[in-house]
Amino acid sequence: MIRTPLRPLARILDARNRGENPDAIERENLRLRHEEMRDKARSRAEGRLLVLAVFFFCAFSVVGARMGILAGTTVEEPRASTAGNTIFAGRADIVDRRGRVLATNLSTHSLYAQPPHMIDPERAAHELVGIFPDLDVDRLIKDFTGKRKFLWIKKNLSPEQMQKVHDIGDPGLLFGPREMRLYPNGRLASHVLGGASYGVEGVSSAEVIGVAGVEKAFDTWLRDPARDGQPLRLSLDLTVQAALERVLDGGMKLTNAKGAAAVLMDADTGEIISLASLPDFDPNDRPRPLTKGDQSDSPLFNRAVQGLYELGSTFKIFAVSQAMELGLVEPDTMVDADAPMKWGRYTIKEFQGKNYGPLLSVSDVIAKSSNVGTANIALDIGGERQQDFLESLGLFEPTAIELVEGPTGKPILPANWSEIVTITTSYGHGMSASPLHLATAYASLLNGGTKVTPTLLANPDPEPGPRVVSERVSAAARKMLRRVVTDGTASLGEVEGYQVAGKTGTADKPRRDGRGYYNDKVINTFSSVFPADDPQYVLVVTLDEPSDNTGEQPRRTAGWTAVPVAAEVIRRTAPLLGLRPHVEPPLAPEITLTASR
Amino acid sequence: MSYLEYNVKTVPAGFRKVLYLNWPLVILLTAVASVGFLMLYSVAGGDISQWAEPQMKRFALGLALMFAVAMVPIWFWRNMAGLAYTISLLLLVYVEFFGVTGMGAQRWIDLGFMRLQPSELMKITLVMILAAYYDWLDVKKTSRPLWVLVPLILIMMPTFLVLNQPDLGTAILLVAGGGAMMFLAGVSLWYFAVVIAGGIGLVSAVFSSRGTDWQLLKDYQFRRIDTFLDPASDPLGAGYHITQSKIALGSGGWTGRGFMQGTQSRLNFLPEKHTDFIFTTLAEEFGFVGAVSLLSLYALIVIFCIVSAVNNRDRFGSLLTLGIGATFFLFFAVNMSMVMGLAPVVGVPLPLVSYGGSAMIVLMGAFGLAQSAHVHRPRGR
Repeated sequence: MIRTPLRPLARILDARNRGENPDAIERENLRLRHEEMRDKARSRAEGRLLVLAVFFFCAFSVVGARMGILAGTTVEEPRASTAGNTIFAGRADIVDRRGRVLATNLSTHSLYAQPPHMIDPERAAHELVGIFPDLDVDRLIKDFTGKRKFLWIKKNLSPEQMQKVHDIGDPGLLFGPREMRLYPNGRLASHVLGGASYGVEGVSSAEVIGVAGVEKAFDTWLRDPARDGQPLRLSLDLTVQAALERVLDGGMKLTNAKGAAAVLMDADTGEIISLASLPDFDPNDRPRPLTKGDQSDSPLFNRAVQGLYELGSTFKIFAVSQAMELGLVEPDTMVDADAPMKWGRYTIKEFQGKNYGPLLSVSDVIAKSSNVGTANIALDIGGERQQDFLESLGLFEPTAIELVEGPTGKPILPANWSEIVTITTSYGHGMSASPLHLATAYASLLNGGTKVTPTLLANPDPEPGPRVVSERVSAAARKMLRRVVTDGTASLGEVEGYQVAGKTGTADKPRRDGRGYYNDKVINTFSSVFPADDPQYVLVVTLDEPSDNTGEQPRRTAGWTAVPVAAEVIRRTAPLLGLRPHVEPPLAPEITLTASR
Repeated sequence: MSYLEYNVKTVPAGFRKVLYLNWPLVILLTAVASVGFLMLYSVAGGDISQWAEPQMKRFALGLALMFAVAMVPIWFWRNMAGLAYTISLLLLVYVEFFGVTGMGAQRWIDLGFMRLQPSELMKITLVMILAAYYDWLDVKKTSRPLWVLVPLILIMMPTFLVLNQPDLGTAILLVAGGGAMMFLAGVSLWYFAVVIAGGIGLVSAVFSSRGTDWQLLKDYQFRRIDTFLDPASDPLGAGYHITQSKIALGSGGWTGRGFMQGTQSRLNFLPEKHTDFIFTTLAEEFGFVGAVSLLSLYALIVIFCIVSAVNNRDRFGSLLTLGIGATFFLFFAVNMSMVMGLAPVVGVPLPLVSYGGSAMIVLMGAFGLAQSAHVHRPRGR
């Protein structure tokens, strides 16, 4: 860079020659250089300014354009959502066959906190504990003063609790509206209803999903917005269910049983009028599943559907009916009942080592519950035909009941259907089925002989099922079963006016370790139909490990335990079901009047 | 040495100064502030005493302050720049330890009659000291690394203090305002190129690190960025403000719903509706037309600052006026972009319109400085 000297020698000398002050030249040059420099800086600054002005202009344009775009669009309100899924809150009610509410929704609020918005976390925590004593102060204070921005404090507040929380007046305590599933009848029909819980949960709503029972089986149905709140109508009858549960509970306690199950079914339609399993639970506060031990000991276990038991002598009527259907026997045919019966290395005995033989009428085989007589009849039928018949009664597959637990009730069948299996199965040992299976089979056999499908939905006119036995055989079977009550093993089952017909069953419980049977633990079952001359309802009552200790020795036969319980159930529920007591025509007098002198 | 001092004789003196004020700027400021009063009146649901009246009082105070500052010769203010900067920096340090915590950040000093926000003060004093620095500095040295380092330190010290409060909005304004000053002062473009390239590099590094082992940000910080990019993904959480304000702007349409007819902002859908998000009320009630009108008023204010600066041959006065204009521009540009979802939500108020004490007073004081530079500019030759 060529620099202009501030004191150019030529000019200074020249000035000196003219007698001027040479410093003036320096000053003049200095000023010129200053101005030149300043002008340069100015033009540079102006360039910079222009750039900045352009930037300003662009920013204005962008902001203005954005404003225009926003002004020109209609914005849609965002909906509360998580991960793109809309939460549908609103679940259909469940009602019984007469429209009485079994499950409904209740609007409540859940309490949550946003600690950053809290004014006085410590005071709020202490007051909260005053309202909800189960909360922990230290923990709340830790949560409120820590880094958390959001936490749930309490679910499903009552209006009073909500008002109290409101009165604390802390802006960091907020409420999220909730729909809560409410079972107004408490424990009633708990195993049928199952229960519900929250699924996807957002701040302003939460999804209620079924976790068991019909709530889960019909979950999609209940949540379908297209149903528009139309309730799910079940076949249950609330009052009958209540009476049955009350009696069953009393019976279970009186007989010292550890569990009980009962199924009351419409014999023609297969509709389940009531279904109970004890011990039960409150679906409003569903207990947790057992983490160890046997699941069948949990109150959540549905004995009527999931419980698989050897149902004992109640099966005898199947063999007898089939033999009649095949024309092998008639009710008064005499069959070989000579006990004990030897079959290979097995010995078939009667209860308490009795012997009803050598010959017994078919009708008496049922009334006296002869194992040997039934065994001989079954041998006549043969294994193949026996299996076909039991299968036609639905005893080989899980029942079609509309509960999520239904498919788990799959009967346990012997691996190999040998002749000894044919014999034991005929009197209800060696294969296990649920009380519901038994009720379904009895209904099919005794309603006139058409197969029914068990259902929990109110359905008064189902398609008639395939025929399993003829009406004649069905009537004969009912007659034999009636005799069981009038002068057989179920004499305590007589309920005046309702002509109960049924069959007892007592089966030793298999040992847990799989080696044989307990000799003091039994399953007692009474499977009945009433009224006998016009079969309307089938009732199965099963007691788990009952023992009637009122006598000198513990009595563990169904006749002493399950039968009186069932009789009491019928006595209470028959009027509720609309049955009128009907006086049986008296038997023909056996006294022969002779004219005497 | 300012050129100005040689020209004192040409500068008006005494009350005649009032005639030489930049009156159009005064009128524009009053117009913008009046828009603010109207909006605050509307947001309060037709209640003047809640926000509008205190705001008016503060504006009157601010106006008086502006005149007072304008009357004082600009060279006095230049000499004060270093002191002012030091005081604001000390105040920032003070709030760091003793400040009143408000809305989750330590920002205020309670003076009794008002709450002083040192970070607001810093925005102006930073502009002052940078203008004074470049006025003092030999133009030839502007781009030398050592002389670039000095203003960088001057900018970074308050920025870190403010970031620590934490107040991202003010930090951004400080950096951007200081950068604009350096740019206008003529610092070589290479420095800016390097800084911008570095910034882009950093941002891309942060984004490409996502999900890898050397992730530079925490997951929740990434989620915030996601929310900014797509507010609809979290409409009830972090995206709430943006979604709601967009609805407000959209529902305003072209001509708006009419004064006092806004629903979105008045029905309490928007928190901070009287402060940072007041623009939504304006856009909803007066629509696109109203919003663009306010934008034009702001633009005119900036233009008047630029014109005043260009006509000012005093380097300090010129730089100061430009710096104040730039700071003002950044204020409303960031606020509007934020409200309209162009920028992430950082707490920057809408200048002169949002309810708030220190911001209004400090801004009016700053315009007083610009007025002083205007009145005391060198005239003639």
